[in-house]
Amino acid sequence: MVEFHIVNRVREKRFFANEMTQQDLAERIGVTRQTIMAIEKGKYSPSLEVAFKIAVVFGCPFEEVFTYELL
Amino acid sequence: MDMSFKEKSAWISLFSTLGIFGYYFYNIALLHGAPAELAKEAALELLLKAIILSVVVEVIFHSVLSATNYKAAEFGSDERDKMYEYKANNIGYTILVIGVMLTLGRIIIVEYNPDFADHNSSMQIPLLTAHILMFSFILSEVVRFAGQIFYYRRGY
Repeated sequence: MVEFHIVNRVREKRFFANEMTQQDLAERIGVTRQTIMAIEKGKYSPSLEVAFKIAVVFGCPFEEVFTYELL
Repeated sequence: MDMSFKEKSAWISLFSTLGIFGYYFYNIALLHGAPAELAKEAALELLLKAIILSVVVEVIFHSVLSATNYKAAEFGSDERDKMYEYKANNIGYTILVIGVMLTLGRIIIVEYNPDFADHNSSMQIPLLTAHILMFSFILSEVVRFAGQIFYYRRGY
């Protein structure tokens, strides 16, 4: 069976946003820093709303931050 | 280990529940074979002590946790906290319902067969039905806190 998983580039996007801290990003989208950490590690898939908020913070299209890829 | 406020809170609740009610059930088990009236009094005293101690310990530890993490305490839960809480609650609730059903079954069996309980129960402990119900409740709480911690550690 073909399996997909959600891949994110949040860490990379933070780096190119003047090394934005996890805390800063967390405060902007209304989650805890630990949730940002879990998202970056791929241990938690955020809701659509939070995923869109992350894309808005980085000012880029949704699919530049989150993609659905083959395992 | 980098833990969120809610995860720390779950650890506190898990350890305080395990410690206090572990001691409670250990002492209840020791009442096996004790004179009925004496055991009833002792069981009631133990229950009151456990409940009061549980409230006091939770209040003290959560106050310290909130004081040292006041920003996180003010923020409350985010969507990940709520989802893990919801999933852990589901498991805990299932265990509680099973416990309640077993207790109901025991009440009905004893009601229709009064001799059954006396002759077949290996635990001659007064208020046994209440203790079984209490055990189900505490077990469901332990599983609920452990479930939350499990999801925080493993991710979902």
